[in-house]
Amino acid sequence: MSAVSSLAEARELLRDFPVVDGHNDLPWALREQVRYDLAARDIAGPQNTHLHTDIPRLREGGVGAQFWSVYVRADLPDPVPATLEQIDCVRQLLDRYPADLAPALTAADMEAARAEGRIASLMGAEGGHSIADSLGTLRGLYALGVRYMTLTHNDNVAWADSATDEPRVGGLSAFGREVVAEMNRLGMLVDLSHVAATTMRDALDASAAPVIFSHSSARAVCDHPRNIPDDVLERLPANGGVAMVTFVPKFVLQAAVDWTAAADENMRAHGFHHLDTTAEAMKVHRAFEERNPRPVATAATVADHLDHMREAAGIDHLGIGGDYDGTAFTPDGLNDVSGYPNLIAELLHRGWSRTDLAKLTWQNAVRVLGAAEDVARDLRATRAPSNATIGQLDG
Amino acid sequence: MADLQDDLHASPGVDGLEGLDDLGELVEDPFAATPYTPVTDPGAAPLERARALLAAHPVADGYCGLPWALRRLPWYDLELGESDLDTDVPRLREGGVGAVFWALHLPEGLAGDRAVGATLEQLDLVRTVVAAHSEGLRLAHTAGEVADVRHRGRVAVLLGPAGAAALGDCLGILRSLHALGLRVLTLSGASWASEAGLTRFGEEVIREMNRLGVIADLSGASEQTVRRAFAASRAPVLFTRSAARALRPHPANLPDDLLAGLGAAKGLCLVPLTAEQTGPSLRDVADHLDHVRALAGPECVGLSGTYDAGTAHPRELPDATGYPHLIAELLRRGWPESDVALLTWGNVQRVLRGADFTARAAQRRREPSTARIAELDG
Repeated sequence: MSAVSSLAEARELLRDFPVVDGHNDLPWALREQVRYDLAARDIAGPQNTHLHTDIPRLREGGVGAQFWSVYVRADLPDPVPATLEQIDCVRQLLDRYPADLAPALTAADMEAARAEGRIASLMGAEGGHSIADSLGTLRGLYALGVRYMTLTHNDNVAWADSATDEPRVGGLSAFGREVVAEMNRLGMLVDLSHVAATTMRDALDASAAPVIFSHSSARAVCDHPRNIPDDVLERLPANGGVAMVTFVPKFVLQAAVDWTAAADENMRAHGFHHLDTTAEAMKVHRAFEERNPRPVATAATVADHLDHMREAAGIDHLGIGGDYDGTAFTPDGLNDVSGYPNLIAELLHRGWSRTDLAKLTWQNAVRVLGAAEDVARDLRATRAPSNATIGQLDG
Repeated sequence: MADLQDDLHASPGVDGLEGLDDLGELVEDPFAATPYTPVTDPGAAPLERARALLAAHPVADGYCGLPWALRRLPWYDLELGESDLDTDVPRLREGGVGAVFWALHLPEGLAGDRAVGATLEQLDLVRTVVAAHSEGLRLAHTAGEVADVRHRGRVAVLLGPAGAAALGDCLGILRSLHALGLRVLTLSGASWASEAGLTRFGEEVIREMNRLGVIADLSGASEQTVRRAFAASRAPVLFTRSAARALRPHPANLPDDLLAGLGAAKGLCLVPLTAEQTGPSLRDVADHLDHVRALAGPECVGLSGTYDAGTAHPRELPDATGYPHLIAELLRRGWPESDVALLTWGNVQRVLRGADFTARAAQRRREPSTARIAELDG
């Protein structure tokens, strides 16, 4: 099959079964760039120079549902108010673009949006810091429309270990398991991207509902702590959950992982923090980049992950989570949200069937949200809202 | 007492008002246009008349501290009640209460960094408690929903007031709290609504509250804030707990000139039933009501039980069951039935309707505000 005809077929396929993307950081980008002045970044038109995301490119990319991340930095003195601002931002986007973005809280809402040709818009919170150890606050986020919560971001929370922090509780604490149980009772998906492998395993043990990885790839293909180990992928069939492959080059391409480590080391050697973006620090970084060209990931890199994840977890447990506007660099061909057809074309080329691809893009993610709703309905009949505190459970 | 639902057809005054919903913004003051139809026999005993009146025009109680009180009593059953608290469903029904504002105020110490999270927890608690007592209570967010809840024979619970600190100095948070049901915000205890009055950001908060339909509560606000809010708010303002300072010198009570100003602004002063603010007896409360009615006008006075807020009450008004006695006293003092109906129910409904109308009009005119405190108050 030629590349051109695969791309045409990919686009046709996405018309029927559009992409559910697990993670997009547009709200944070709008906060950082224009303090939520949505008129200054009118996504009804092209925003290519500022953002990975706008409505024309979402349409071109065949996106049918988006989990908008209401991420806030974990080092804020109080992350809860900032999370409410992020939620307000998504609600404002929904008010501004009603012809293109459809508010969605359930699997049925997602299907209705697909039938109307609108982009189902859901919210996900990225990190347990957003609930400040409070189950009442967790329920508040659910009431405002948040439908998944990543248990940690890059840093540990008191009740769960992150993949990119020093191990502390060794997975989930007792309160962490209570958070998972309350999320199950509400029908909020438990997201295991960013968490330590120990936390992944504990959460799979604790969760009565299918879990998601909103943006993570395979550790066997590229050894990075943000990716999912095989033993965890192998548990997804029993759990029913879905691993949504991410595109971030420094997680998916071994050469990029190594390059990033060397670049960070270079920054530290010059006395800067590796995330420092001041002019002086950037000068040091650019000099490094001139000497060491950045390795480039492609759609084929991501397809390699999907091929492996399919072997480990099965076709019913895969999805897509691009992390657009949450990462500085993107693979060639997947440069922004218009790129998904290139990934689908690559998979067609590798012999993935239309039935397989419909599951990858749309059906698996919708099934998982619906399953979480079913579990919640059962649990709510027998269990009252929990008001357990971290002090009671973790001492 | 009979279920409120059973009394519905005996209240043509209220039925007539419902029809005005459709006229919407054409009607400046729906109550002015509706002739009052008496529901009591003027020859009957005052207490009997009071009960008949409350059956048709129940109390919309402007302040109840239950949410905070319940934090230490998670097992509390509002259907069964217990002596530890002032509020339960049987006593609300016996007292003729049809709607209650549940305050989300936080203790002083929590007004800092944790205020937003603690307010979310309070909102969650109210939703949980109301959902657990669906035979007695229903959440309501608008005048229409309050009437609807009453027609279903339940007591309407409205969310608020919350303290200004709950906003975390941020309009996005105001919008999120409104989305969670918050309908009243007290304009004190923040840098933008302090003893010095409202800052520019404070005025922007009021404009955004008007756009959303969140009512300003000025009890405890500084006099500068009060005067500025009278002018700045397009929707009627509330005092959720204020009596007459001429009768009792409490800082939250209103001097006569502010009461007159309130009348001119068509706001609403809800008089608390507390020993501290109104005095130790039912007659003291009635004196305050007489005074506020005389200065602000009969359409600008209402009731605020202030139960479960950690404060002592007049002897005869230990809980909501005292309302019929208070109403009987007012009838004895010669209050026309129509004024009592405004006091108990009509005025609060007017303010809720005013907030709804203002919000609908403002949403056509204004985008959500992106103003930030650092820009305006720098």
